Amino acid sequence: MQPMAAQGRTMGVLDRLLRNGPDGSTIFAGGLLIFLAVIVGAPAAMVALMSLRTGFPGEGGPLTLINFIRVYTDLSTYNVLLNTLLFATGTVVVALIFTVPLVWLLMRTDLPFKRTIYVLLTLGILIPVFLRTIAWILLLSPRIGLVNQWASQIFGLDHPLVSLYNLPGMAFIQGVSFVPGAFFMLAAAYRTMDPALEEAAYTAGVSKLRTFFWINIPITLPAIAAVMVYLFMTAIAVFEVPAIIGLPARILVLSSLIYTSTNPPTGLPEYGVAGAYGGVMLLAGLVLAYFYVRLVRQGKKYTVITGRGYRPREIALGRWKWPAMAFVMLYLSMEVFIPFLVLLWTSLLPYLQLPSAAALSSISLKNYRTIPDYTGALPFINTAILMVAVPCCAMLLSVLVSWVVIRSQVSFRGILDTVAFLPHAMPSILLAVGLGYLGLAYRNIFPFYGTIVIIIIAHTINWIAYGTRTTNSVMIQVHRELEEAGKVAGVSAPRVFLRIVLPLVAAGVFNSGIWISMLSYREVTMALTLYSRKNTVISTVVWQFWGSGWVPEVSALGVILVIFAVIVVGALRIGFSRVGEVGSSV
Amino acid sequence: MIRIKGLHKFYRTRHGLVEALRGIDLEVEEREFFVLLGASGCGKTTTLRCVAGLEKPDAGEIEISGKVVSSPGKGLNIPTEKRDIGMVFQSYAIWPHMSVFQNVAFPLIKGRKQVPKHLVSEKVSRALSLVKLDGLEERPATDLSGGQQQRVAMARAVVTEPKILLMDEPLSNLDARLREEMRLELKKITRSVGVTTLYVTHDQAEALSLGDRVCVMHEGEIVQIGTPQDVYARPANLFAAQFVGEMNFIRGKVTGPGQVDSPLGRLRCPVPPACQTGSEVTLAIRPEHLILLHHPSQGSEALEGKIASKNYLGDTSLFEVEVNGTALSVKLPGDSDFAVGQQIVVVVAPDRWRVYL
Repeated sequence: MQPMAAQGRTMGVLDRLLRNGPDGSTIFAGGLLIFLAVIVGAPAAMVALMSLRTGFPGEGGPLTLINFIRVYTDLSTYNVLLNTLLFATGTVVVALIFTVPLVWLLMRTDLPFKRTIYVLLTLGILIPVFLRTIAWILLLSPRIGLVNQWASQIFGLDHPLVSLYNLPGMAFIQGVSFVPGAFFMLAAAYRTMDPALEEAAYTAGVSKLRTFFWINIPITLPAIAAVMVYLFMTAIAVFEVPAIIGLPARILVLSSLIYTSTNPPTGLPEYGVAGAYGGVMLLAGLVLAYFYVRLVRQGKKYTVITGRGYRPREIALGRWKWPAMAFVMLYLSMEVFIPFLVLLWTSLLPYLQLPSAAALSSISLKNYRTIPDYTGALPFINTAILMVAVPCCAMLLSVLVSWVVIRSQVSFRGILDTVAFLPHAMPSILLAVGLGYLGLAYRNIFPFYGTIVIIIIAHTINWIAYGTRTTNSVMIQVHRELEEAGKVAGVSAPRVFLRIVLPLVAAGVFNSGIWISMLSYREVTMALTLYSRKNTVISTVVWQFWGSGWVPEVSALGVILVIFAVIVVGALRIGFSRVGEVGSSV
Repeated sequence: MIRIKGLHKFYRTRHGLVEALRGIDLEVEEREFFVLLGASGCGKTTTLRCVAGLEKPDAGEIEISGKVVSSPGKGLNIPTEKRDIGMVFQSYAIWPHMSVFQNVAFPLIKGRKQVPKHLVSEKVSRALSLVKLDGLEERPATDLSGGQQQRVAMARAVVTEPKILLMDEPLSNLDARLREEMRLELKKITRSVGVTTLYVTHDQAEALSLGDRVCVMHEGEIVQIGTPQDVYARPANLFAAQFVGEMNFIRGKVTGPGQVDSPLGRLRCPVPPACQTGSEVTLAIRPEHLILLHHPSQGSEALEGKIASKNYLGDTSLFEVEVNGTALSVKLPGDSDFAVGQQIVVVVAPDRWRVYL
C-alpha cells in the first residue's frame, strides 16, 4: 500500500509542476543567472586554478599548493602586504580629508559656484588616474620634476626639495583621485537625510555643536563608514599609481606585484605566483564587499524620505565664504587644473623644462602632429570600438537583470542581484589576469586572447555591477502598475517590456551607458594586462609612451584625452548631473 | 503666550522674490490651542517655523511668553535652541540611531533644560505614559509604527515642559482612522499638560475639532481669526467660505435692503451695509441649511425644483437639486426618501444666507 501512496504523491507533484510549470520568465531568469554566473565566476575560477598550478597556462599538470607555500614563506610578501595596507589606509585618509568637508560645503552651505564645482568634480572622475599621476611626476619627480628643477635653480639645492616616489606620495595622488567618486556617494546619502532630524534637536534646546556631534555624525556614520570600506576595497586593488610611482621606486603592493608576475620585464611569467597573491586580494575584496553591503543597508534604515520635506536652510558662510572657496579651489587644482596645465605646458615643448623666455620661444604643436606617426590609426579605432561595445553589452545585461530583480516574481531574483553585484568585489587587475589565463589555457573554447573582444568582455564584467545598480534604481521608479496595465490590455510580456518599460527607463539607461563608455575610455589596468599588438587602445599607448620616456608625446596625447572628456561632460552636463551619484567605479 | 506683529518673509526662488508672509498679526493666549489653517503655500508653516526660529523673518516681531525672540528691525534673532518651545514635525523626525527612551531623554540630557540624572528616567516615563507608550522604552526607534513614532515625537516635545508647543501637520502621515483617534488624544494631552499650542494643518475638520481658535490663512495673509463655530458659521469672506466646509454659491444683484435678485429668484437675505443697491454679490449657503419638502407650505420662502441626483453616504444623503436651471447641493439625513426626478420644494431660512461682495 505504502509505495502506491508515495507514487500517488509524486504523480501529484509532477502533475502540478506540469500544469503550473516554470513559466517563461522563470526560464528566462534562470538562463540569465547561469550566463551571469559563468562570466562573473570564470575569471575568479581561473585565478583560483592558476594559483594551484605551476608552469604555463594550458600545460595542465597536477594541482599543487607549492605556489602558496613559496609565496607565504617568503618574508618579502609580508612587506608587500604591509605596503598595500599602508597605501590603502593613507589613500582613504587623504580622500576623506577632502571629501567630508566638500560634501558639507556643497550640500549645506551657501557656497558660490556650486554647479561649476559639480561639473569639475564629474570631470575629475573622467581624467584617467595615470595621466594625473604622470602630471604630478612631471611636477614633483626628484630628478626631472619642475618644482625640484626650480628649487635647485633658485636656492641652488643639490638634493630634491620634494619627492613623490614614496608611500605618502602614492597615497596622496590616489586619495585625491578618489575624492569625486566618494563625494557623489556621500552626497547621495546626505541628500536622503531628513533635515527635520536636525531641527528637532534645535527645538529640543540642543545647541548646534552638540547637535552636530550627537545627531549629524551618528546618523551619517554608516554612510561615511560605507564609503570608507568601499574606498579601502578599491585602494587595495588599484594599479595605476602603484605601477607608475611605485614600480620605479621599488615600492611594491599587491596589484603591482601581480602585474609584474604575469608581465615580467625579464624572464618568464609566473601565473601561479600571481594566483597566490590574487587569492588574498580576492578574499579581502569579498570580505570588504560584504561589510560594504551591510553598512549600506544599515545606512538606509537611517534615511527617511519625507513627503514634503523642507529644504534645509543653507548655512550662511559669511566671512568664511572665501576661505571655504580657497579650500575647494585647492582641491580642484590638485585634481584638475594643475595636472592639466602641466600636461599642456609639456606637450608644447621639445622636452620638459621650466617656463622661461627660451622655453616660450620653442613652443610648437609639433608633438601633436607627430602622434599619428607613432600610433597609427589602430588605437583610436580600438578605443572607439570599446566605447560603443562595452556600454551596449553592459547596459543590455543590466536592464535584463534589473527587470528580473525588480519586476519579476522569480524566487531566485535575490541571487541574481548578488551575482550582478559581485564584480564590485573583484579587483579589475585580477579580472583581467583571470580572463587572460582563460584565453591562454583554453584557447579552443575561448579564442579571444590578444583581441579587442577580450577587453570588451573584461570591461563589461567589471561595470555590470555599476550598470545594474543604476538600472535597479531607474526601474524602481517605474511603477509596477504601468506594466500591469499593459498586461491587462492583453499585451504579451516581452512586448510590454519593449514598448512600456524600455521607453520609460531609456533616459536613465542612456545616461549610465554614456558614463560606462567614458569609464571604458579612460580605463588602463585591464587593457594593459590583456595587451597585445592587435588590441592596443589609446590608454595603453600613453602608458607605453611613458614607459619609453617620450614625455612630450605622452603629454600631447594626455591633453587630447582630457579635452575629449571635457567635450563629452560639457555636452551632457545636464544628463550627467545625476549619473555619478549612484557611485561607482572610481 | 505668543504674539506676532507685522511678520514679513521673502523667499528667493527661480522666479524672483516671493513674499511668503505679507504682514501677519496674531496673538495666542496662555494655554490656548491655536490652529493655523490654509492650503499648501499659504504661509502657515512658514509662520510656525519663524516662531520656532527655524526661519528668519525679514520684518516684524515675535514674542514668546512676553520675551521678544525675533525682531529683524532690531537685529534680534534668538536661535531655536534657546527658545522655550517643543515641536512635533510632520515627518516626526525620530532620531533613528536612538531607542525610544533615548529619543525622549535627549532634550533632558543635552538640551537647554538639563535635569539631574536621577530625574531623567522619571520624567521620561511620565512623558511616555502620557502618550501611552509605557513599556516600549528600549525599542529602537526604527522599529516603531507610524502612530507610535507620532507618540514618541509628542512625548519628546513635551518632556521638557515647554511654554509653547508647535505642531506642523503632525497627523497628516497617519491613515484616516488613526488620525481621528490621535486627534482626540492630542487634545487631551495638550489640555492635561496645559501648554500653549500653535498647530498647523490644511485639514479643516482637524482645525475645527482641535482649535480653541482657528486662523484661516491665504497667500501669506490672515483671512479670519475666530472660534471654530465663528469661522464655520460666519466666514469672513468668499475665500474663507470656499475653504472651510461645503457651500453653494449663487451670483446675484442687490435690488433693495435685504433683497437680492438671483437665478433662483428674488431672495430675502442679510445684505451687509457695505453693499449698495445694484452691486453684484455672491450668495452662499451650506448644504445642510437647505430643507426639502414634498409640497409647498405657506409662509416660508420656497423655491420649486427637481431632484437631479442622489448620493447616499450612510449617515447622510447628498442631493443635487435643480432650481430654475441652477444646481444646489443639499445635505439631508441618510434615510431621506426623495427620489431622483421628483418635484420638490426647497425651503431656506433667510438668516442662513451669507452675502459676499
